[in-house]
Amino acid sequence: MPAFKTPFNGYAVKFSPFYEQRLAVATAQNFGILGNGRIHVIDLSPAGPIAEIAAYDTADGVYDVSWSESHDSLLVAAVADGSVKLYDLSLPPTSNPVRSLSEHTRETHSVDYNAVRRDSFLSSSWDDTIKLWTIDRPTSVRTFKEHAYCVYSAAWNPRHADVFASASGDCTARIWDVREPGSTMILPAHEFEILSCDWSKYDDAVIATSSVDKSIKVWDVRNYRVPVAVLNGHGYAVRKVKFSPHRASVIASCSYDMTVCLWDYMVEDSLIGRYDHHTEFAVGVDMSVLVEGLLASTGWDEFAYVWQHGTDPKAP
Amino acid sequence: MATPPNPTDGNPQNPVPDAVNPTTNAQQEADKGATKEPSIFVNTEPIREDQVQNAIKFLSHPKVKGSPVMYRRSFLERKGLTKEEIDEAFRRVPDESPSVATTQPAVVNQGGQSQTASNIQPQAPIQSLQPVTAPTSKLGTKFHWSHALLAVGVLAISGAGTAVVFKNAVVPRLKSWIKKVVHEDEKEDVGNETDRKPTPAEEAAASAKAAAAAAADVARASQDMLASKTEEKKYFGELLSLLDVQVQEMKSMSNSIRKLEGQSYIAGREVQVTNSRPPYTNGRGDYDARSARSLSPPPPPPPAFVEPPSATPSHPKSYMEIMSMIQRGERPPNIRDINDLPPNPDQPVSNPRLAPKPKPWESTQSQGSSIYENNSNGLLDNTVGPASMYENSAPWWQQKNVRISEVEGQENNKTGGGYNGGTGVSERPVQRSSWVPPQPPPVAMAEAAAAIRQPKKSQQQLTDEQFLARSSEVTDELQRITKISESGGNAAVVDGGDGGGGGSSVVMNASEIQREEEGSYYEASSVET
Repeated sequence: MPAFKTPFNGYAVKFSPFYEQRLAVATAQNFGILGNGRIHVIDLSPAGPIAEIAAYDTADGVYDVSWSESHDSLLVAAVADGSVKLYDLSLPPTSNPVRSLSEHTRETHSVDYNAVRRDSFLSSSWDDTIKLWTIDRPTSVRTFKEHAYCVYSAAWNPRHADVFASASGDCTARIWDVREPGSTMILPAHEFEILSCDWSKYDDAVIATSSVDKSIKVWDVRNYRVPVAVLNGHGYAVRKVKFSPHRASVIASCSYDMTVCLWDYMVEDSLIGRYDHHTEFAVGVDMSVLVEGLLASTGWDEFAYVWQHGTDPKAP
Repeated sequence: MATPPNPTDGNPQNPVPDAVNPTTNAQQEADKGATKEPSIFVNTEPIREDQVQNAIKFLSHPKVKGSPVMYRRSFLERKGLTKEEIDEAFRRVPDESPSVATTQPAVVNQGGQSQTASNIQPQAPIQSLQPVTAPTSKLGTKFHWSHALLAVGVLAISGAGTAVVFKNAVVPRLKSWIKKVVHEDEKEDVGNETDRKPTPAEEAAASAKAAAAAAADVARASQDMLASKTEEKKYFGELLSLLDVQVQEMKSMSNSIRKLEGQSYIAGREVQVTNSRPPYTNGRGDYDARSARSLSPPPPPPPAFVEPPSATPSHPKSYMEIMSMIQRGERPPNIRDINDLPPNPDQPVSNPRLAPKPKPWESTQSQGSSIYENNSNGLLDNTVGPASMYENSAPWWQQKNVRISEVEGQENNKTGGGYNGGTGVSERPVQRSSWVPPQPPPVAMAEAAAAIRQPKKSQQQLTDEQFLARSSEVTDELQRITKISESGGNAAVVDGGDGGGGGSSVVMNASEIQREEEGSYYEASSVET
């Protein structure tokens, strides 16, 4: 399993929904505190090392990246200067970025592309807002401003085209419907900042949140006072959660304890895998939609790993 | 509600998610949140009166009234109140604008003290409120200030008093003691000379002279000391300034060295990144320009002479080093000035080359997904390599570890939930096309069951193991069955139950298998659901 060395500290990694061998890696210099950023687009090869097919430099760090669900060559990037940038791989590098949308007044922390409608995406920012965009418009379609602190993550529901969830540093997660003026549900999910949220792909009412309190909680929005499951095991804040696209109750998570863990929340002993290949904070994790069991992770140790569940990420 | 403006281009590929768009609702096949059905993502709980009462008590507290509305809302949200309950509480609490609140601080303070006493019983929200502690501490601090003033005054007066007392009482005593000492010395001298008998006046005069001389000596000595001290201070100051100058020079030199080292490191990094294909970088890499961010003051200009860059690239600094640099106001030296704006903001996005693929969780028909798989294979040919590579041996990222399939088998026996891989890797291609568990078989009528049983008597002797071994065949059959049932085949099943001959043979298999059940079929199905 090859690894990809990035010159900057890794922040996010995403599989392409079109090409099973393609990934995008978002990186930021100087741990994202202050410095440039770079987006790498890499291809796995059946026998051999990872090849980089494109790299885009940005003036500020890139905190997140998301692939378009409608265009196989389009990337959306969340940049620390508050802008959202669009990159087109099929255009020459001198024509990139194709768009730079600067409306957030603070760092943009995450972007998520709508997998159902395939035409719109969300950006969440440290300015407490979430913005809805479409590819064809130069300005945002909607701004959702209700959180009292940084919004660390926004995630579309995989089955309901207009529903999304957000996770914020104000210790609440919110469910939104773009057809409604404000949030439709408020989940006081944790006692500490909530860093990430993700929907279950197979049960459209189940959502997982991860927090600074080192736990992952799984909620059913129909009965949201009590979590369905509480997954403990990480030693530090859990930075990202991702539901598996292939197995209904499997969750992948990465944490500041430098590990990537795999959980099955329906099982008594939920932890089904733990990978400690990173030597610094593990900050980004993703599971491939096209290849079952394929995981990718990146961290501040400037490495991006791609491996099959059950194998050793660092094996050659 | 902020209604988004209508788009000027009516691009059919991008349906705008407006509030009123009935066509999009029709497009969503799996969307249960259509306008007709109530969405599951909405609170259906009624307003809890006890929570509203708690919120009202919280909001009525004077210190809470002084806080921004946003923080009040956020606090109540964190305590688990729904939007409706929070809105209701805000409605019920008497409205008080922020300007009015500032004119009533005096009244509120006195009232606040009595209220804090009565609010000691209360509910958790107020007890855990930090603003409650703030007012008491604030009032306390006011007292502290006046206390402090009083104390300072008292100290000053006492100090003055002691100074006066000291002058009036202690100094004369000292003088007299000095005189006594001198007098004793003189007495000794006098004692040696028995003739002389000095008068008290002469003695007093002599002692006074001695005292005066001593005092003069002391004064001169202290003056000398003062002079030397000032001289020392001067020298010390000069030394400090010299040191400062030297430190500045050294800082600037180290900055320039770091910059040069940084440039060589950047050059080294670019070489590393180049792989089989050259990377595409946008913008221009200006190695000499500085970044345009104005977060921290710019570094001092480099000195006139430049040392040659070092051979080894500098190591990336650790997190703590970067943080301390930022806090000191320094810029990390490896930041480049990059222009990342779009060269053409109206650049049209290129057309997609691939159709979007269905997701594994979407309940599409298998035919649809197989079409996409064929397409994807064809297009992958263009981009990656010969199709034979994929047919003969799957790339390493597709090959699952044998160990894992066994583990998963065990897990499925344990969990029985959510995973379709009961029969191992071989079933994966089938699973890709989102197998949906069949509808629970309907209860068949006894005559129909009897009629079915006779022609297929041989199958009654199937044992459990054989049945599991045939589970893959069963799966295929059941897939066909589910398709039929999905496409409205329920009527066919009913017909089969009634007439016994109306339904298709496949449907009869379904009910026959149900007869066979005795647990073996249901075990298999429960594994797969």
